Amino acid sequence: MNLIGIQAFIERETERMFRLGTQVLFSPWISALLYILIFGRIVGARIGEISGVPYIDFVVPGLLMMNISQAAFGHASSALYFNRFLGNITEIITAPLSYFEIMIGFLASSLVRVLVIGGGVYAIALFFTTASIEHFWLFLFYIFSISIVFALAGLIVGLWAEHFEHLAIPGTFIIIPLTFLGGLFNSIHMLPAKLQIFAKLNPFFYFIDGLRYSMIGVSESNRLIGVLLLLFLILLLGSIVWVLFKNGYKLRN
Amino acid sequence: MNALEIKNLVKKYPATKLTGEKIAVDNVSFTVKKGEFFGFLGPNGAGKTTTINAITGIGTFPEGEIKVFGYDVVKDYREARKKIGLSPQEFNVDMFVPPKDTLYYVGGFFGMSKKERIKRADEVLKELGFGREADLPFRALSGGFKRRVMLARAMMHDPEILILDEPTSGVDVELRHDLWRILQELNKKGKTIFLTTHYLEEAEKLCDRIGIIFNGKLVTLDSKRELIKDGKSIEEHYLSMVTDGKNGIK
Repeated sequence: MNLIGIQAFIERETERMFRLGTQVLFSPWISALLYILIFGRIVGARIGEISGVPYIDFVVPGLLMMNISQAAFGHASSALYFNRFLGNITEIITAPLSYFEIMIGFLASSLVRVLVIGGGVYAIALFFTTASIEHFWLFLFYIFSISIVFALAGLIVGLWAEHFEHLAIPGTFIIIPLTFLGGLFNSIHMLPAKLQIFAKLNPFFYFIDGLRYSMIGVSESNRLIGVLLLLFLILLLGSIVWVLFKNGYKLRN
Repeated sequence: MNALEIKNLVKKYPATKLTGEKIAVDNVSFTVKKGEFFGFLGPNGAGKTTTINAITGIGTFPEGEIKVFGYDVVKDYREARKKIGLSPQEFNVDMFVPPKDTLYYVGGFFGMSKKERIKRADEVLKELGFGREADLPFRALSGGFKRRVMLARAMMHDPEILILDEPTSGVDVELRHDLWRILQELNKKGKTIFLTTHYLEEAEKLCDRIGIIFNGKLVTLDSKRELIKDGKSIEEHYLSMVTDGKNGIK
């Protein structure tokens, strides 16, 4: 295994992330601050409790999930597309790195971004609430598995994209709507009975609910379904990415 | 020992809506000896870059076998790639990153330790005449220095064979001569050089042996001495091969 190569790859992509600090880091932190302040604190004060916990505590895990999913997806898709666009993907594919190592490099650098952004969002939340973590290992499992799922999806989009505009399409039309409909701001029980069925078909509901359980101990779903779904998606998307990389799809001539 | 062995290489591009199937490289075989300065010539679209892509792993190939210092570029790709330094035609680097950092990261991809990378990047950049340019973003460099970055990146991990795809295209005469001097020095130090160029006087000046590819087929493969012993220049030989006698030279 070319560990130095993977490390250099992570270093390079992390440097790129910090180079675009305003857009990549401050933008999600400011958005999270506004969400927590307006929805959590101000609107939440009028809502009171939801599922037995203060509204702000209910909202924070969902905001964390939204930010880590966007960070993982955004980093993986833009890093891969940017490398393809500039042509410096050849630096990687002509180096003694295997497809698996290249995948690991992209995933690990996405995790770095997730940890920086997620850590920042969590720190912001601490100014407004206790942001407790009741089940630490489960919390880590959700953070890492959700990040890997979205980073793998980002790699597929990074390969598929032909224009910068393509990178924004999944975020705008899939990730944000499904996050909002997945119980970010509301309990599933607040929805009409028919809509609850649709909510339960939304995988994002299980991600948010699982992360929420690991933080505040409140859950509205069958968590086993969520865990199995995450593992299944990692396997499925990981296999797709590996096959695409192995075949050199849009990477090799 | 052979630095490069290519046997029956075939590369086809599938038919598109606009074009039929294109055979970019058609059953090409040749070897390049260790320490040789080999010129690979041909008009645009002849198959030069496709061959280079197959050697370096940028492109796949359905048929044939390529070995670099005995290592199969598919089966033993790690060892094969460690031996190769590629300077491509295009400026394909992150334009916001200074050359020093580009070299640092590329050295890492090839498994060099941080200490080694810093030392080697300084050496290579100094050898290629970089001063403060080493710390400027790539986009702020002149065309000549951009071209040098391509060469520096290829040299970073001290490869055994340098594959240079039109390394002097678009550079002024002074820099071209400077690059020639650098390449000759590298060759004297034992590096094998595989060069493609459209400047035939460049091939005539630098190369020991020359291969000419035309329409995907290798139409000439001989030493420079043999090629010019009939009194014709490399340019005259080249034109007679690639124009199929239509220019009256053949």
